[in-house]
Amino acid sequence: MIIQAESPVLEIHDMTVSYDQSPVLWNVDFTLPSGQLIGVLGPNGAGKSTLIKAIMGLVEPSGGYVKVFDRSLAEVRSRISYVPQRESVDWNFPASVLDVVIMGTYGKLGLFKRPGKREKEVALASLDQVGMSAFVNRQISELSGGQQQRVFLARALAQDADLYLMDEPFAGVDMATEATIFELLKRMTKEGKTVVVVHHDIYSAMTYFDWMIMLNLHLVASGPKNQVVTEELLRKTYGGKLNLLSKVSEIVRKQDFNPLES
Amino acid sequence: MSFDQNAFLIILTGSLIAISCGLLGVFMMLRKMSMTGDAISHAVLPGIVIGFFVAGSQRGIEVIIGAGLLGILATLIIDWLRQKARVQLDASIGITFTLLFAIGIILINMLANNVDLDQECVLYGEIAYIPIDLWITGSGAVLGPRITYLALLNFTLVAGFIYFFFKELTLTSFDESFGSVIGIPSKGINLALMSMVSYTTVSSFEAVGAILVVALLVVPPATAFLWTKNMMPLIKLTTVLGIAISILGYYLAYLFDSSIAGMMVSVAGVLFLLSALIKGRSRKSAGTSIANI
Ligand SMILES: Nc1ncnc2c1ncn2[C@@H]1O[C@H](COP(=O)(O)OP(=O)(O)OP(=O)(O)O)[C@@H](O)[C@H]1O
Ligand SMILES: [Mg+2]
Repeated sequence: MIIQAESPVLEIHDMTVSYDQSPVLWNVDFTLPSGQLIGVLGPNGAGKSTLIKAIMGLVEPSGGYVKVFDRSLAEVRSRISYVPQRESVDWNFPASVLDVVIMGTYGKLGLFKRPGKREKEVALASLDQVGMSAFVNRQISELSGGQQQRVFLARALAQDADLYLMDEPFAGVDMATEATIFELLKRMTKEGKTVVVVHHDIYSAMTYFDWMIMLNLHLVASGPKNQVVTEELLRKTYGGKLNLLSKVSEIVRKQDFNPLES
Repeated sequence: MSFDQNAFLIILTGSLIAISCGLLGVFMMLRKMSMTGDAISHAVLPGIVIGFFVAGSQRGIEVIIGAGLLGILATLIIDWLRQKARVQLDASIGITFTLLFAIGIILINMLANNVDLDQECVLYGEIAYIPIDLWITGSGAVLGPRITYLALLNFTLVAGFIYFFFKELTLTSFDESFGSVIGIPSKGINLALMSMVSYTTVSSFEAVGAILVVALLVVPPATAFLWTKNMMPLIKLTTVLGIAISILGYYLAYLFDSSIAGMMVSVAGVLFLLSALIKGRSRKSAGTSIANI
């Protein structure tokens, strides 16, 4: 079931992405609304990371196209931010937490300009938002996995973009922090920003997301959470692992489920 | 043991070269590309020979251009093998530079009869001749040691490059995808860095030889990285190491009556081993980049 958004921020048209000639995403075609918190669900290897990378032009689609803010990608780069999977970099790099977060401001700075006081303030504010103020001068090699993830989030926040694409930003983040950051993302969407999050936990997904994309090599569903998260579509996405799905349908019924209260 | 003008010139030139190589080497190391630097420094050999043949002398601008082009060609071949043909990075580096290096050797042998190219010099360099290799203008004015000027120009360009692109170089070394996403021209920065490495290799080969340049690219940054986890101290320490290596290398060579460039690299190696012994266990990534020299 694919529900199209009105005046979309992101439009993906009949996109196919292949590695070595073998497609891992087939004819994906959907639109996303602005100002919403959007979840991307799907099993391992479903092509979620590939989808995010294709949207940002990090992998070249073998067919179809992507339009962001009704423009081509190159024209709107500085309005898009990205939180990669934590494993994508070497954390042994000689940099402090603040150094990494300031990198988020580089896109707007432009060539030859150096980050100054303003950029530092933006970075400090972003670190505060993810609860990492106490670690400003810490070496990034000395952080825990969840703290590294929060540094990446802060870097994206420092960019002050309009569209955020996050690849499993909550992997290894504790529940209390996850809840805080979800609230933060919610607030951002209220300001008109659009946040797309690859997420594995269906329980918290049901709680926080407004819109859901379900993916398994093909696009299974895209639309408002209440309309697309059904037992049938979940079965199509995850291939009918029954005991998981019976739990999920219970959650679907209890729409007001909150993992922190139970 | 003496300190005269010749000693000063040799140490100065050695330091300039070691610093240029070290500064670029820091970023090569952080990009896990130290071995690509190795590949480039070998691969420029056919470029040097062809440039030399075209120019008829070792000093022509053609030599630098030829070598620069070959260095970039080598990085492009490595990238292509890795991404399109899906060859492992170490294998693509090994194939590319041995092939180009072999072509260079064959070219030297074929062309050696026509032109006076000193194979020894290309491979090992001879920094000791710096004071007598003078730069003489067309009108006959003696301006001073030619290679020192080359090293100074090279150092200025490398330092300027790193100064002006510091934030881009750092960001793309840490997280290339993020750089691309926010609109930093990652590919261009990478290619510019490779070009600087090629240029530095050529500019330095007469003094320290095409092979020992590699050691200067790899060893001082790896040593410094054992001692610090911050970018600025890393760069400063690499610079200090470059100077220390030149001074110690010169006087030890003087003492043992041996090759200055060889002694510089030996000193660098010993400093690295000492650092590794003292600091070793905690930091592994710097160690892997040096293991292949
Ligand atoms: N660089 C690559 N080269 C070749 N195949 C790849 C590459 N990256 C991913 N794939 C393949 O593409 C498919 C989709 O991968 P992708 O990383 O997009 O999955 P994912 O949904 O993000 O999975 P996960 O939940 O494990 O992160 C997988 O089958 C994977 O093996
Ligand atoms: Mg993934």
